[in-house]
Amino acid sequence: MRTASPLSTGCRPGLPPRGGIWLAILWIFSSLSQVRANDDLQFFETRIRPVLVQHCDRCHSADAKELQGGLRLDLKAGWQQGGDSGEPAIVPGDPDRSPLMKAVRHAEGVAAMPPKQAQLSADILADLAEWIRRGAPDPRDGIVTRRDKSADWETEFHNRLDWWSLKPLQPVAPPPVQQADWCRTDVDRFLLARLEAEGLRPVPDADRATLIRRLSLVLTGLPPTPELIARFTPDSSSDWYEQLVATLLDSPHFGERWARHWMDVVHYADTHGYEWDVPAKNAWRYRDYLTRAFNDDVPFNRLILEQLAGDQLEPRLDPLTRQNEALLGPLALRLGERRHGDSAAADGVSQEAVANMIDTLGKGFLATTLACAQCHDHKLDAVEQRDYYSLAGMLMSTRFSVRPLDTIDPNEALIERLRAVKQQIRQELAQLWLSAANADTVAATLRGIPADATPSPAFPSTLVEFWKRSLAKGVTPEEFSAERQRRRDSNQANLTVVADFTALQPVGEWKLAGFGPQHGYARDGELIVADEGDAALQQLVPAGRYTHLWSPRLAGSLQSPQLDPLQPVTLSLQLAGGKFSSYTFVLDRALNSERLQFLNRPTPAWLTVTAGRFDTLEGSIDTFPRRVYFEVTTKAFNNYFPPRVGYGGASEAELNDPRSWFGITKIVQHPAGLPPLDELERFEPLFDLSADADWALRLARTLQAAVERWTRDATRPDDVPLLNEALAQKLLPNAVAASAELGRLIADYRSLERQIEPDCTAGSVEEWAEGRDDRIGLRGSYNELGDSVPRGGIRLLGPRPSRAVSASSGRLEWAHQIADDRNPLTPRVYVNRIWKHLFGEGLVRTVDDFGHLGERPSHPELLDTLTAQFLADGWSTKRLIHRLVTSSAWRQGSVPHPQAVAVDPENRLWHHHPLRRLEAEAIRDSMLAVSGRLDPRLFGPPIEPYRTAVDTQKRLLQGPLDGEGRRSLYTEMTLMEPPRFLALFNQPLPRQTVGRRDVTNVPDQALALLNDPFVHEMARVWSQRVLQDGAIQPGDRLGRMLQGALARPARPQELAALAQLVQQSAELRGATDRVMTSPEVWQDAAHAIFNLKEFLYVP
Amino acid sequence: MFPENLESPLTPAATGSRRHFLQTAGMGFGWLAWQGLNGLRPTSDCRASTETPPRPLAEPTAKRVIWLFMDGGVSHVDSYDPKPELTRLSGQPAKWKPDPLSQAISAGRKWLGSPWDFAQHGTSGLWISSLFPHMRQVVDELCVVRSLVGETPLHGAQSLLMHTGRSIAAAPSIGSWISYGLGSENQQLPGYVLLNNDWIPNGGFQNFASSFLPATHQATLVRAKGIPVDNIQAADPLAVQRAKLQVLQQLDGQFARDQRAAEIEASIRNQEIAARMQSLVPHLCDISGETAETRQLYGVDRENDFDKFYALQCLRARRLVEAGVRFVEITCPSTHNNNSPWDQHGELKHRHSENARITDQPVAALLLDLKRRGLLEDTLVVWAGEMGRTPHSGGTDGRDHHVSGYTIWMAGGVSAGDRPTAPPMRWG
Repeated sequence: MRTASPLSTGCRPGLPPRGGIWLAILWIFSSLSQVRANDDLQFFETRIRPVLVQHCDRCHSADAKELQGGLRLDLKAGWQQGGDSGEPAIVPGDPDRSPLMKAVRHAEGVAAMPPKQAQLSADILADLAEWIRRGAPDPRDGIVTRRDKSADWETEFHNRLDWWSLKPLQPVAPPPVQQADWCRTDVDRFLLARLEAEGLRPVPDADRATLIRRLSLVLTGLPPTPELIARFTPDSSSDWYEQLVATLLDSPHFGERWARHWMDVVHYADTHGYEWDVPAKNAWRYRDYLTRAFNDDVPFNRLILEQLAGDQLEPRLDPLTRQNEALLGPLALRLGERRHGDSAAADGVSQEAVANMIDTLGKGFLATTLACAQCHDHKLDAVEQRDYYSLAGMLMSTRFSVRPLDTIDPNEALIERLRAVKQQIRQELAQLWLSAANADTVAATLRGIPADATPSPAFPSTLVEFWKRSLAKGVTPEEFSAERQRRRDSNQANLTVVADFTALQPVGEWKLAGFGPQHGYARDGELIVADEGDAALQQLVPAGRYTHLWSPRLAGSLQSPQLDPLQPVTLSLQLAGGKFSSYTFVLDRALNSERLQFLNRPTPAWLTVTAGRFDTLEGSIDTFPRRVYFEVTTKAFNNYFPPRVGYGGASEAELNDPRSWFGITKIVQHPAGLPPLDELERFEPLFDLSADADWALRLARTLQAAVERWTRDATRPDDVPLLNEALAQKLLPNAVAASAELGRLIADYRSLERQIEPDCTAGSVEEWAEGRDDRIGLRGSYNELGDSVPRGGIRLLGPRPSRAVSASSGRLEWAHQIADDRNPLTPRVYVNRIWKHLFGEGLVRTVDDFGHLGERPSHPELLDTLTAQFLADGWSTKRLIHRLVTSSAWRQGSVPHPQAVAVDPENRLWHHHPLRRLEAEAIRDSMLAVSGRLDPRLFGPPIEPYRTAVDTQKRLLQGPLDGEGRRSLYTEMTLMEPPRFLALFNQPLPRQTVGRRDVTNVPDQALALLNDPFVHEMARVWSQRVLQDGAIQPGDRLGRMLQGALARPARPQELAALAQLVQQSAELRGATDRVMTSPEVWQDAAHAIFNLKEFLYVP
Repeated sequence: MFPENLESPLTPAATGSRRHFLQTAGMGFGWLAWQGLNGLRPTSDCRASTETPPRPLAEPTAKRVIWLFMDGGVSHVDSYDPKPELTRLSGQPAKWKPDPLSQAISAGRKWLGSPWDFAQHGTSGLWISSLFPHMRQVVDELCVVRSLVGETPLHGAQSLLMHTGRSIAAAPSIGSWISYGLGSENQQLPGYVLLNNDWIPNGGFQNFASSFLPATHQATLVRAKGIPVDNIQAADPLAVQRAKLQVLQQLDGQFARDQRAAEIEASIRNQEIAARMQSLVPHLCDISGETAETRQLYGVDRENDFDKFYALQCLRARRLVEAGVRFVEITCPSTHNNNSPWDQHGELKHRHSENARITDQPVAALLLDLKRRGLLEDTLVVWAGEMGRTPHSGGTDGRDHHVSGYTIWMAGGVSAGDRPTAPPMRWG
């Protein structure tokens, strides 16, 4: 009697019993008391069919008004095929595994059936279980396809496609208007026509001072400089405004401002939050990339392609640095909250991250809530669950890796100079070593080494070990040759070379990247100069690739091909590495897996690792073959460097040191437990010289021969360990001070080496070796899976690609679909975003949702016409902005006509230019600019924000109060704790797309403006500056200050009010005798001006 | 403190300003203080005002919540969930069905019996271990729930799940929902206060954020040490600040009239409220008026800083709910370099004892104090971390993460004195 299932549901540790035990007991009784029908079919007809008809058919049959879950239970084929999940509803013979049974038993995690009713009686449940146990005999033949459901869905889907935002663009000529002389552009004609239709009229242009300030703040995020005001205020030329617009579009600060807008969409942060808030690998390079792209007006369709698939595009070079911009684009795909650990350590982490990214891509480019379809078809929009998993397959087939950005080698000339010096070092060392390697001298040194108290039983493998062994009883030629043969045989039998780096052309499928490996080919006996310290050489190396051959500042990575997660493969790598170079298995899309181990082995030695079985680790669920590869990296190429605080023991100084290195000679595969053995070839000559009985001399001559070969540049691979041992044992001189010439050469080398420019790298992506479709997660689960879906497409944009044989992820193709001129959605969404940033609200106010839950455009023809022009302009952001800000609509004043407010209180028709509070960044930046503290430099690593509490465990460190005077764009966005001052003024938490920021109006903001130390510091800086202005009267100074803050002349009553404040401040602070020179008084005045609403709002 | 005879910057010219103000202002921390500015005590007439935010749809039994967030994961098998079988088999190799909700960081795991003794207490006969001696006094108030199941045995995920219902996407905190959903009980105060002890739990500020709800429902962070709330202390001598505010009223008032903008008016009012908050908030956080007996009950004068400040925050919690704050959360301090306070993969005995020493007395005191003031009836107190700990161990003095069944307790509100919802299970 099997009662496992009902009992087990109640026995989950710690769970309250959910009636399962009672059910089981009832079932036992009922099955004992009832005589079962022997005939299976009769059983079906009498016990099962009536139940199905009575309880299931209403929703799960051909008669159902609306077939639920795509599941039919009125035919055998119905439950065999299952519903939308694609999983059979019944597993014949196994009630416990049958979804149908789980549903009627109201098992956890399954929709209880029949819905909204009490559970079926225990008798019925027992019958159903018995029927299934008998193999679910079912006479109801007949073909059922999922046509019923699909047909419904297809109709529904096509109905949903009939939606304004998905229709082709319909640009039209502007409508006729009455007040034609108001219109400067077509934008005005569209807007005015609507206003006139409502009986409204626009307000006149704002005054020039207002326009200069508004335009400067909206286009660059900074108040106008006095120079700009001086240039444009008296200008009487008719095109002064045009020139002003052109000037501001050309400002380098334009890119900073518009990069920040896009960063809200991709939820940019410098860290990955969660528990340890580890850095997002060089994310700031992506932020700078955006600034450059908007400054250079890179067509937005190109920016889409780059951000989705820049790794697969022709490089686009930064003219200044010649670095590949395109590779920086995909950093957008990595941003957001990321857990530590990987999918084998904590299943579901990759799926979570993918869900966040699908949400971002959907909202960001398409203003469509694609992520709603993770668990089910979209409730309202033309998005099906299969679309979600099609994109998931695409993203899961994309791997995160750190990529080199340089396209030209900045160090070529320097390395040539290093090569010349190194050649001289080699010559100098050759002289020193030849004389030191004199056999008699070396033998004498060896003779001075005593035997160990307890001799090692291991077979000797160094000069010293042979010497010590000889003190008891030397190794005989027979013993040696037997041992050597044993090792050779073992290697011969067990090792398969999978990669070999000892020749100039590497052999195997492992990939090297970075300037380190590129310059790092070493022949046997190549020397590595120590970059600091008393020793001249770090070591000699056998043939291979060494990232630090010239300098440990050069970076590198070594990546395996994709490994089979189900086949345990044992690999040994002959590897050296130091200064926090590392190796790790990367699983799926792990960015910061704690499988990472740091290397600390100065000379190449075998490292044995076992790949595979990552699906069956204890505590994980065996769901889906994981994508696995192995990588060795220096710091610059390590996704997880800097790691969380304390991981691997790196100090903060070591984290910031660019030096890091590894070297690789060979990689072999072998059965577990049979690693490569040292074949001892280097000691062969010991036994050729057997005529000479003295072991010391035999060893010395062996070394001497190796040294001689090295000086002739004829080093054998196995000479290198001998020579390195001789260096370590000081048998050969290796001190910088060994000769004056050597000292000079090493100093030369080191001073050149310090000039080496480290590789420029950033987090990016690349394709997995094998693209793979994802399976539908039933109800969004990551471990209950349905059919697989061809990856890389959503039906909204056209038919999903069939990609059964293609190896690629489909990202590039999808990117092309997104950025296609024929796709009306993407450019509509983007044009609307730009409009929103210029006009305060979008033509579609729900800028991130153009679906059925979003709002409709207020001016659909205008949106379409603008979008068509945007496409005709080659997706130029600057031209679009130019077109909008030169309109009369944009130049309107900000004070509405009262009757317009009555008709259209929300200003949906743009009868005036909306008054806007400055964004968080603009408030802070304005204070920096007005006080004179602004450091206008662009680009660079982020600066820690000023904090009221630090947390060194999460690297939430204290930053300078004034952020070094840099714009807010450069304040570090730590996801764990975003900068508070900025957050207070609604800079969004960078976890999800926010195309339209909240603008709250809360007392906390007033408190910050009154009391925050940053605000006071800016007031102090400003006061220090104005004390030098030579003003005699407070009014003169105050006039200049107000002009500086508000970009307009001060009014007499303002000056009077502020002068009174100055007077009061002087009295309260005891400075009446030195009003004009008191820093405190003027800090008070400056502080008051920073608190003016007009300073914080743009009319 | 604030000049009462100040001319109002609001003029009749700003049409419909009051209504508009209410629509546009964010109604932030204490904006409504403006309405009851005659003193620091709530005034009843604001409730009657037509401008009161909507009342809750359903009348809840519990009117406010205090969440004692025990992050890192208190070991349920060492506190409120006795496992006699575990004690018996302690030290023997552990065999169990692999469970993705239970960490097994190292191999060779053994059952680990609790180093603390369990005993039944009170009339309810509830089991409590010797880890929490003070809690025995209030045992009959507790409803122990031993059946919590999580999603992933990781701190960040679980912490966000507990706070927001989602482990990675952004969603409002439970405190924000309560504040938003139940409306304001005392309109002078924030709806959600986080009494922090320096350590910010895993998952970061998202745990306490309002997400898509209005920003006013996010937690107001009150620190244990120093100035309790950012920017709450006037940076200027009050007379100087007053002079500044006067000139700002004048100039901003003109700007508001010029622009005919209600949001400027709201912003002006916020400035006035802010000025008053400078004394209102410190008053609520100031426990100097509490009796010696109360101080002793909570242990606010204990020697150790961690003990003292945790007790202070518990006492403040009572003051805050007493004054009408809807949701108060208290977080634990981190006493040593660790992933989170209760996260004892090692040093279980030492660190669990230390954490218990810090929290046990103040938490028990909070229940006693609420009860004697008649507040416990309609205040739900929740003691919960984001996970429990494994009954097995790779060592002898540590436990790993466990979310496939762990324990929390609730007290007050509707749950007073209820029995455990599940009998103790033998294992974990």
